[in-house]
Amino acid sequence: MSIFRKKKIQDPREISLSIYKKRWLKFKTMKRGYYSFIILIILYALSFALPLFINNRALLVKYEGHYYFPAFAGYYPGEKFNQDVPGEANYRLLSEQWENSGSENWLVMPPYPFGPFEDITVKGNAMYEPPSRQHWLGTDDTGRDVFARLCYAFNISISFALILAILNYIIGISIGGAMGYFGGKFDLIFQRFIEIWSSLPMLFVIIIIASIIRPNFFILILIYTLVNWIGMTYLMRAEFYREKSKDYVAAALSMGQSNLKVIFKHILPNSLVPVITYFPFAIVGYISALVGLDYLGFGLPPPTPSWGQMLDIGLQNMSKWWMVFSPVGAQFITLLLVVFIGEGVREAFDPKVYSRLR
Amino acid sequence: MTTYFLRRMLLMIPTFIGSTLIVFTILQLAPGGPLEQTIQRIQMGAAAQGETAGSTSDVMSGGGSVLPESALKELKRFYGFDKPIWQRYLIWLGVYPREVKHRDFTLVPGETEVIARAGKKDGQVWRVTVVRNGDEYSVIDEGTFSEVWRAKAETVDADGTVHGVIFQTETSGIMTGNLGESYTYQAPVTEVMKPRFKISLFFGLTGMFLSYIVCIPLGIRKALLHGSPFDFISSVIIFVAYSIPGWAMGGVFLVLFGGGSFWNIFPLGGFHSPTEIWEALSLWGKILDQLHHAILPIFAWSIGSFAGLTVLMKNGLLENLSQDYIRTAFAKGLSEKRVVWVHAIRNSVIPIASGIGGVIGVVIAGSYFIEKVFNIDGFGKLGYQAILDRDYPITLAFLVIVVVIRLVGNIISDIALATVDPRIRFR
Repeated sequence: MSIFRKKKIQDPREISLSIYKKRWLKFKTMKRGYYSFIILIILYALSFALPLFINNRALLVKYEGHYYFPAFAGYYPGEKFNQDVPGEANYRLLSEQWENSGSENWLVMPPYPFGPFEDITVKGNAMYEPPSRQHWLGTDDTGRDVFARLCYAFNISISFALILAILNYIIGISIGGAMGYFGGKFDLIFQRFIEIWSSLPMLFVIIIIASIIRPNFFILILIYTLVNWIGMTYLMRAEFYREKSKDYVAAALSMGQSNLKVIFKHILPNSLVPVITYFPFAIVGYISALVGLDYLGFGLPPPTPSWGQMLDIGLQNMSKWWMVFSPVGAQFITLLLVVFIGEGVREAFDPKVYSRLR
Repeated sequence: MTTYFLRRMLLMIPTFIGSTLIVFTILQLAPGGPLEQTIQRIQMGAAAQGETAGSTSDVMSGGGSVLPESALKELKRFYGFDKPIWQRYLIWLGVYPREVKHRDFTLVPGETEVIARAGKKDGQVWRVTVVRNGDEYSVIDEGTFSEVWRAKAETVDADGTVHGVIFQTETSGIMTGNLGESYTYQAPVTEVMKPRFKISLFFGLTGMFLSYIVCIPLGIRKALLHGSPFDFISSVIIFVAYSIPGWAMGGVFLVLFGGGSFWNIFPLGGFHSPTEIWEALSLWGKILDQLHHAILPIFAWSIGSFAGLTVLMKNGLLENLSQDYIRTAFAKGLSEKRVVWVHAIRNSVIPIASGIGGVIGVVIAGSYFIEKVFNIDGFGKLGYQAILDRDYPITLAFLVIVVVIRLVGNIISDIALATVDPRIRFR
């Protein structure tokens, strides 16, 4: 019904803006989505610097006149600092000792001095500790700090979903676009193929493959892409198919434009709207899928921090509520942010004006 | 229209073959299959025995492999690994004869016939004669060519001694309704699946029913009150429901109400109470017990489709309400009630009706997650467990059932769509 309404243009400069710029401005006015976007971007960017904030390794150690940077340099055995512990130096204990004995050595710990991997074998850690000032979200069944694992898992989950989405988009746009644009035999063969592929229960197939080859991060992405490219391909095929029959494509072709140019310069920008609005929801799906796979034990290999695995352990220790609530909460907050972004993006890119005619 | 659906039905066949062939091949090529696992199990058993019995040398002499050649052959035959993959697939489908009841025989050089034992018949040892005719072997039973037994050579020694095998054939597989025998349960797959199938169906049907009964009215109300506080608050709830997968929510419920750290209201899982308690209950008690166990899983089940369904209904109705025919209906002077409930609603349920085929798949196949969280021995958990156990007959049967349901579900969706929306014509 929008044709019946004259849209008021507040700012005359808006007329000359590109459509994407206009959409971005519109997105900015959707407060909920926009702030979610900013929060998520900042959190994700910060999560790459997590070893600086949440780590069991000291940022800076001054020992016998030398400076060490364990958080960056990595592993130092305890003997290095004359500490009697098996394996890696225990910086929290070290700090205490030096302070108590008034020695000249000192060290700077990260603000949250627990790592995602150190477990009960490190002195001072205990299993099933409820949340406290020390361990904000308690510890799990092997004495690992839940909060630290939660934060590291955040980075892994988002990275997983982003890489997966981008891969899926590349495959979907190229194959789906070609199917819709060229049609004919190519289209027919792939359509059959897609029909076969989409009749398979995806999760089941992923589990079968993952049970045969124990996947790491990238293999898991590969497996997931292998079974999951269908959806996007089909969407793009329909988009290209529709756009191809429009007049502007015929015009471009009649002017002697090459196929490549028509595809990338003319059709693609016009068929991106549904793909872009779908993006955040794809991310939601991929994050949930990773959590699910990890929960079933077919995801990332065990010591990797992941919400699904934490949930699995948590549900095996039902009386330790923090082990269940933490991963579910983290997943919930993250997904909620993404959903808010998705809602804003949809509103900006594909606005639906509902007018009640009454 | 009929031709369209007929064509769709026929197209199901190549799709079915394609999808099962893919998974079948993956399973057969996978290392660590049932054959390797059995061999390993036997070897480990033999090694343990060897240690206690002071390790007799001839067990370990075969270069690490404790299995004698004949036992390995037997195992391979049992799992069908003595055939190429395409034959195994056809056998599994039930269009290629399967060899059963193998009996070995040996033919010394120069001889052309040998008597082989073929098991028992009428309480007596059944002997048949294997006759060699060039490279062909035939079986003679009581003077005539046997109708059930066949023979073939397997290996020929350097001196010309032939080691062969007589066998019977049968053609039975997926096509003939034989889903095979489970390795882990030692029972026909259909029997293993039946009770679990019922459990999943129970949850699926109740869950689906509940979500429809809540979502459709809620969606309608939200559309009619678009922009009101009610719309806003219910939207928030929907966002929350969308952001936690149903099964994870189920886990949270278990912690909250399962008696671990908070309230002890609901049991920690299972389909109903353990058998000892269950058997002693009266009918009424059984119903209550069942409900008591079912509430949390069903809630978790329906919450998964809650957001999508409500939004679909709401947007469908909103979109229809802004159409020209609604304007016309209002212009004619119809009451709002009539316009909404008769004109708009009917058009808005179309997308929901067309989703019914997809729902059928979910209903029947169950959910690995919810069944795992609530420890319910359902259909989904069976399939998941079968992968873990490398129980190929169950894995494949699970796949067959899910694929067929999906294919049929798609067609049902189209039929439903054509039924509710007379404008749609499939050609």
